[in-house]
Parts: sequence; C-alpha cells; structure tokens
Amino acid sequence: MRWLPLFISLALPFGTLAAKKPATPADTFNGFHTKALATTPVKLADPSYKKLTASPRDYSVAVLLTAMDSRFGCQLCHEFQPEWELLAKSWLRGDKKAESRIIFSTLDFSDGRDTFISVLGPPNRTCADVLPPSIGPHAVPGVEGPIRYDFTNGALTAEQVHSWIARHMPGRPTPAVKRPVNYVAWAVGVVSTLGVAGALAKAGPYILPIIQNRNAWAAISLIGILMFTSGHMFNQIRKVPYVAGDGHGGISYFSSGFQNQLGMETQIIAFIYGLLSFAAIALIMKVPRVADAKKQQVWVLLWCAVLFLVYSFLLSIFRIKNGGYPFSLPPFM
Amino acid sequence: MAVATASEPSPIQVLADFGKSKSLRTLLRVLILCFIAGAAVSSRLFSVIRFESIIHEFDPWFNFRATKYLIANGFYDFWDWFDDRTWHPLGRVTGGTLYPGLMVTSGAIYHALRALTIPVDIRNICVLLAPAFSGLTAFAAYLLTNEMTTNTSAGLLAAAFMGITPGYISRSVAGSYDNEAIAIFLLVFTFYLWIKALKLGSVLWGALCALFYGYMVASWGGYAFITCLVPLHSFVLICMGRYSTRLYVSYTTWYALGTLASMQIPFVGFLPVRTSEHMPALGIFGFLQLVAFIYYIRSALSGAQFKAFLFVGLGAVFGLALLALVAMTSAGYIAPWSGRFYSLWDTGYAKIHIPIIASVSEHQPTAWPAFFFDLNMLIWLFPAGVYLCFQDLKDEHVFVVVYALFGSYFAGVMVRLMLTLTPIVCVAAAMASSQLLSTFLSIKSPKAKDPEQEDATDSSSKKTKQNTGSLRSANSPYVGVYSFLSKGLVSGIMTIYLLLFVLHCTWVTSNAYSSPSVVLASRMPDGSQHIIDDYREAYQWLRQNTKEDAKIMSWWDYGYQIGGMADRPTLVDNNTWNNTHIATVGKAMSSSEEVSYPIMRQHEVDYVLVVFGGLLGYSGDDINKFLWMVRIAEGIWPDEVSERKFFTPRGEYRVDGEATETMKNSLMYKMSYYNYHTMFPPGQAQDRVRGVRLPDTGPVLDTLDEAFTSENWIIRIYKVKDLDNVGRDHSAAASFERGHKKKKSTKKRGPRALRVE
Repeated sequence: MRWLPLFISLALPFGTLAAKKPATPADTFNGFHTKALATTPVKLADPSYKKLTASPRDYSVAVLLTAMDSRFGCQLCHEFQPEWELLAKSWLRGDKKAESRIIFSTLDFSDGRDTFISVLGPPNRTCADVLPPSIGPHAVPGVEGPIRYDFTNGALTAEQVHSWIARHMPGRPTPAVKRPVNYVAWAVGVVSTLGVAGALAKAGPYILPIIQNRNAWAAISLIGILMFTSGHMFNQIRKVPYVAGDGHGGISYFSSGFQNQLGMETQIIAFIYGLLSFAAIALIMKVPRVADAKKQQVWVLLWCAVLFLVYSFLLSIFRIKNGGYPFSLPPFM
Repeated sequence: MAVATASEPSPIQVLADFGKSKSLRTLLRVLILCFIAGAAVSSRLFSVIRFESIIHEFDPWFNFRATKYLIANGFYDFWDWFDDRTWHPLGRVTGGTLYPGLMVTSGAIYHALRALTIPVDIRNICVLLAPAFSGLTAFAAYLLTNEMTTNTSAGLLAAAFMGITPGYISRSVAGSYDNEAIAIFLLVFTFYLWIKALKLGSVLWGALCALFYGYMVASWGGYAFITCLVPLHSFVLICMGRYSTRLYVSYTTWYALGTLASMQIPFVGFLPVRTSEHMPALGIFGFLQLVAFIYYIRSALSGAQFKAFLFVGLGAVFGLALLALVAMTSAGYIAPWSGRFYSLWDTGYAKIHIPIIASVSEHQPTAWPAFFFDLNMLIWLFPAGVYLCFQDLKDEHVFVVVYALFGSYFAGVMVRLMLTLTPIVCVAAAMASSQLLSTFLSIKSPKAKDPEQEDATDSSSKKTKQNTGSLRSANSPYVGVYSFLSKGLVSGIMTIYLLLFVLHCTWVTSNAYSSPSVVLASRMPDGSQHIIDDYREAYQWLRQNTKEDAKIMSWWDYGYQIGGMADRPTLVDNNTWNNTHIATVGKAMSSSEEVSYPIMRQHEVDYVLVVFGGLLGYSGDDINKFLWMVRIAEGIWPDEVSERKFFTPRGEYRVDGEATETMKNSLMYKMSYYNYHTMFPPGQAQDRVRGVRLPDTGPVLDTLDEAFTSENWIIRIYKVKDLDNVGRDHSAAASFERGHKKKKSTKKRGPRALRVE
C-alpha cells in the first residue's frame, strides 16, 4: 500500500485545482448577494465587474455606470445616485431571499476606469445597464450584451427605472420602490406650521390691516397679471435662458422668433406693460384729482408722452418678433 | 321732440340734449350694437370671400360629419350613435363621447329655417355659425360690462373689443365649426347671468345661469373653467367676509340645477360628483351651507357660546370633510385630477406622462408675442381696468379680479386658453378706456378757483370708499380736467390707438386666422394668388377610387378630414381617446416594413396616407411630426421603438444621407421619400422643408404600392399589397421582380420576421 501516499500526493494538486476551479454562477451570485446584504448597491471595481458579469450566469446584473468625481462634472450622475441607492435598497428589502436573482451594483469611474471606458466611453455621462442571465430558467435567448437605460429623456426617479428593470424580468418578483418616510421633513413641517400659526395668532392684529389693505391686493393682482401676460409661464415651462449672445460678443435682449423668448425679454415687456398701464391709471385716477390747473397740465403732458413713446417702442419691439408686422407709430418707426 | 321746441338753443346744445332723451339713447345703443355685431360677423368672413364656404382645419370636419348624421337620422339616433367607421376595428361610441351642443344648435337652426321655408344647405349653417354667434358674444360682453360699471359706454366698448379682438376671432372665423364657436358666447353669457343672480339674490336668474351652464357643458369641455371660477369667486367673497343671503341663494340654485343639467350629457355623466376638478364646486356648496348655518346660529346664540361653537364645530366639520375627500380619493370613488387638467398645474407632468397632450401645438405655453398679437393694446389696458375694479370693489368687481388672475395664468400655460382670457380682457380694458374717455371728453371744466365743487354722486361714493379703506390714488377729491389741451391730447391719443387697434385686428384676422388650412394659398411670381388644393384633391381621389369600406391608415391629425371629406374608415382620428391604438399606428409608421406589414394586415389597412411637404416647403408635414409618433409608440412599446435610434450619434434629427439606419428603414421615411429623387436631376434632390440634400438612391418599398401622389406631393397614398400569390414574403418577391437571384439570407430572414408581433 505504498501507492496510497503517492496517490494522495498526486491528488493534492488536483484538490487544490478543484478548489481553484472557476466558481459556479451560483457561487458568484451568493458571494455578491452577501456583499449586497451588507451594502447595496455593491460597489464594483475592474476585477469584480469582470467576475460579476462573467458568462455564463444564471442571474441578472444591474450596473449603474457613474462618474461621481467632481472633476468630470457629471450633473446627471449626482442627481441619479441617491435614486439608484434607494431603488437597490428597497429592492433588497422586499426580496431578502434573492428570489429575483438580481444584483444591484455601481461602478464608479474612479474605481473601474478601464471597464467604464470600454463600456461607455468618456466619463461625462451615466447609464444603467441590465445584463440578463445567459443560462438558467430566466435566461433570455437572443439577447447579447447589456440592455441599456438611456438618461436622455431626463427620467430620473427610482420608480421609472424600477418599471424599466421590471419589464426585463418577467416572471420574477419585482419589489416596488418604497421611499423612506422623511421624518425630518415631517418634523420640520409640523413645527413650522405650528410656529407660523402661533406667529399669526400673536401678530394677527398687526398683519390683519395689511391683509385687508386694498392697495396691497391691487398691487399683487396687477403684478400677477403682468407677469403671466408677459410670458412668465413660458419661461418656467421651457426653461429659456435669461439672455443670449448676438454672435458678435454682445448681448441680445430679444430673440427673433415669434414662438420663443428670453428671460430678460419678458421682464422688459412686463415693465413696458406696467408702464403703459400705470400711465392709463394715472390719467384716469390721479390727474382729475389734481386741484392745481398748472400742475395737472404738466402731469397730463408727462403721462401722454410716456404713453405715446412707450407704446411706439413696444410696437417697434413687436416688429422684431414678427417681421411682417406693418404698423408702427413715431418716433420708433 | 321736446328739445326742438325750446327757444334758440345752440347747435351743440341741441345735439347734447338730443342725446339725453332716454328712448333715443336706447335706440342709439341698439343701433351701435347692431353695427358692432355686423362688424364682428363681417370681419370673420375673409376666408369665405377668399376661398369659398368651406369647413376648416381638423375638428370641424368631425363636427360637420356629426351634424350631417344628426340631420339625416334624427336626435335619438344621434344620441345613441355608434360609429364603426372610425377607430377601426374598435369603433367609437360617438353619441356618448362628444359634446352635442354645437351639432344640436345647428340642427335646430336648420330645422327652424326649414320651417320658415328658407332652404339652406347645412354646410352653410355650419360655416356661418361661428360668426353669427360672435355677434351674440359681443352682446353678452355688453351686458356683462354693464353689470360692472354705471357707465354704459363701457359696455359698448367691450362689445366692440369682443367683436373684433383676434384672440376670439382665432377660433371663430367662418368655417371654423368648432365647439368654441358657441362656447365663448355661452361662457360670457353664463358669467353675466351669474353676476346678475348674485347681485339680485334671485332664484330666477340663478336658474337661468344654471340653464346656460348646462348648455355650456353640452357644448365644450372648457366648461370646467366656469365650474371652477364661480366657486372660487364665492370662496373669495366668503373669505372677504361678504357672505350674504344673495350669495347663498344664487350659488345653491346654480350649483344644484347646473349640476343636474350637466349630468344629463352622456359624456359628462357622473363626473361632476366623481372627479377632482368638480370638487371645488361641491366643496363650496357644502361650505356655504355651513356658513349659512353659522350665521343662523349666531342670530340665536349669545356671543361667548357662539365663539366656542364656531371653533369646535367649524374645525370638526372641516377636518371630517377633508378626511372624507382623502379617503374617497384613495378608495377610488373620486378620480384624481385628470391628466389634461392636471397638466395645467404641474406643467412638467404632461411632457413626461402624456406625450399625446404635449404633442398638440395648442397645448404649448404662450410666449409674450402671442398675447400682444391676439390682444394688442388691450393687453396693457387690461391691468388698468382691473385696478379700477379695486376702486369700488363690489361683489362683481371681485369676480373681475379673480377671473383676470386665473384667466391670465391659464392663458400663459396653454395657448389655447387665450380664448377664455379674452372676454375678461375686453371687459376690463373697456372699463379702463371708457373711464379714460369719459374723464377727458367731458365738455365741462371745473373752475380753477373752486376745486371743492364736486359731483354729488362722486362725493357720496367717495365717502363710502373711505369707510371701507380705499385705494391710495383715490384719496384726494375728484376735481375734473381743466384745460382743453389735456382733453384734446388724451382723447387724440386714444383715438389713434383705437384706430390702430382696428387696423391691427383686421390685419391679424386677414393674415393669420383666415386660412382654412385645408386649402393653402401662395403667391405666384407675378403676385397673383395660387391655391394649393392637395388635400381635397387627395381626399377626392380616395372617395372616387377606393372601396366604400377601404380602411385608411394615417397619423391621427388627418383622421377627421378623411372621415369627413373622403368618407372612408380610419384607424385613428383627432378624438384621441385610445392612446394604445394611436401608438399602434405610431409603431407601424416608425418601424421597418417587416414589422409594419403584419400590423397593417392585422388592422385590415388598405391604404396608408402620409403628408409630405418636402417639395413645396410645407412645414406641417409628417416627417416633422414623426418624433411624436415615435415618442407615443415608445410610451407603449419601449422595447421595440426607441426615440434615441432616430437621432444620429451626435444627437441630430437628420433625414439626408446621414440619417440613422432606423430612420431610413422606417415606413414613414420610406413613404415620404419614395421616388422623390426622380423629381430632380441626379445629385440635386432636395428637401425644402428641412433644407437638406437627399441621397441619389431613394428608399425601396416592398410591401406597399404607390397609389396616388397629389399635385404638389403634399399627400401621398400607398396601397398595402395583398399577400403574395405563391406564398413568398414581400421582400423576396420584390427582389425577384427586380431580377435578383433568391438569396439565402432573405429567405431565412423573411418568414421569421413575419411572425413578429
């Protein structure tokens, strides 16, 4: 029986080989899942990315490729990061036994430079990839490579990404996103409400005259109307720039199209409308109440001049916006 | 009359006294109103004079078709109308999904004229309905303004403004046979009745208001504006401590009867008690009961008891009501804000969630030139008029202020809602300009030495003002205007502005709002007018050359026109009730032929219609709308259609040689540019809308045959090929026709691709 030690000694390297044998997909998944239970999404680097995404695998991988370092100036990355973490956490909480067989992970550019460049290119954007399993019951035939979520539409909430991921995982549990209750916000809300209520109760006698002041309400209404009729909501919705260059290094205050405008432009227009309205109001309300005839004459001349000049100016601005507009008044012909 | 017998009056005196006679003033007013109505009607006739008596745009074609159905089949059939010629193969419960007010109105006019033995074609009634109602709107504006001021000339000015302002003309020229045609009249008149009811506290006027509100609900979806504004007005009044039995009577009458009336419309049904946009009206109704109860209790209890009761009772009821609302919303009894309505508050909502709403150009926000274009000088007289309302600030003035604020907000969010802002702009601007004119046109000048001399009425109104806290600008006593120069100057300027306003309105109406959009006009090099009539040419072709039940697939914009003019079934139309169906068409248009063909077969499509403006430079064509089709399709099939793939890697939307493969293979691209290069010498093919040069080889179509292309290539119609006789797929058959050998790859790819979807 001298063969035995020989066999054993021969078998030893095999044993070590067997131990070193490439891990089965299930092992990889379990390894990463335990990591995920500690911190999710799992932070990846070059080697761990390769290991996680190696084929064959019987699990899905969701990777967020991101560039958080401020050097790269990736605004989107910073906006989406908390949403991604929220998604990963609430997924894990709803699926502790990993029945959905998906690993949420993040690859930062500074950790996995080579992978990032090979997958996505320069680190000025972000994307989420889902790699479907290549074997096993959930394998999707005919899908090679990752399915990519493009952030071009600016869709940035965890719910939207969740519904997209869920779409690629038919027949598997997809725990919904649960936003944590923001206790701080609630506390702040309750306290500030009580505070405001208390302050109002205390300061009521002083505030009431202001609230009941007709002049204040008139001013608020007029400002509101002027703001809305000069296209403020357009600025809000379209997020137009405040001013634009005119191509010669200067500033152009008015954009040329009929359908667009600049932030500054609407303020000028609101001011012009306000001036014209105020001239009309002054002529109606103030002027006939001036007791002195001379003074009244001066006021009338002044307001008429304002009315005439400003309206002429308004028409000239409008002709910038609408080239074919035929009407004008002196002096701005 | 009595004046004429007076001894030796000066001519001016005669004229002035002549005007003072009450009956004569009434006569003059009636005459002026008739002239205004005449001006309002005639300024809307540009398109009839220039082109012909024709229905415009898109939606009016459906209304016209529905009216014809009503005339032909009677009211009850119309009410139960199931239309199987739209939304093939689904059909549409048309009778239950439209606002019948417009059709019933023109049907009633038609039958009334028939009864008077005046033979009028229903089309002419439809074309001229909007101008006719604009005359009535002017009258309603007159009535509404007269409720606001004691100065009757303000009403006449308001009527004139309302009659010719482009903001209203834009939706009411002859031929624009749309719900707005009668709805704006109903809107203004309902508001007039509401003010009247509120002022008098009268059940009769409240019931009339409810009646017209019911008519409004039957006519236009914009009735929600009234449903929200009246409660808001009441709420503001209550908050200002102006609760009165007048308010109670008028509001409860209006709400109870108006809601019942609105629920008679099948399309509205139980919405008034089930959706959030109707909740303010219901809430204020309950709130008013509560307030009335409290007022009653106060008259019965002592002060301290009442206070305790007030705090406990009010808090409990308010809390319970809120709780009930939240519970019912979450339980699903009350629908949350509907998408269209919600997008008015959260302006980013529609862009993300409802591309079909965002895709309509009327739902875009309003840039300032649009306000000036539609309202001209009224836009700056409007704030002045609102300011004047603060002078007296009676209940009806509060209405003007509330309406002005909300109207301008909504008009700023959505171009289309400029229409609801226009009436109040006219009313407020008329109040301002009439006060300005009456101040500076009064012939009487105060004596410079005796500024204390005031009008009796002015001083009395001023005293009440000072009691309630007045505007600062009205603190000092009213004197009047001294010099003739001031009077001449101001009235001169106002005259110039008013004349300019008329010129502006005429110019805008003539240039911007009078083209039927079915017929395009252009100028020949010699200046003569050239009519481009491709749409009607194509629809006529469809009518004459296709089977009665040939299904036409096109983008939804043209659905109503195909139904109305060509009388052929369509897949989707402008009544965008089924987003999935629209997305199906979008998918067929934006996918490759292998994917589109099965979709078209499944929907029994016989012809496909596309609009292409490349030859003429017509920018409203399908390639420019294409991204919306892609977006809407992507909303339903995000895995199969991707907007990103229609953009080049540099993020450009291109149609020339650099276009992406997905773009080049899409059915829409192929149909638009099929054979287009043959119009030009080699290397010269050009798209004049997008200003790009096209490649020399055009796209190849395997599953469609070109059936018709209109004179200026605006409309192109393709026939969907039948299945191949020998069972080949179409690409194989087409490549065989072209003389290529059968390739293995095509054989392998073809049949498999056919099973997709």
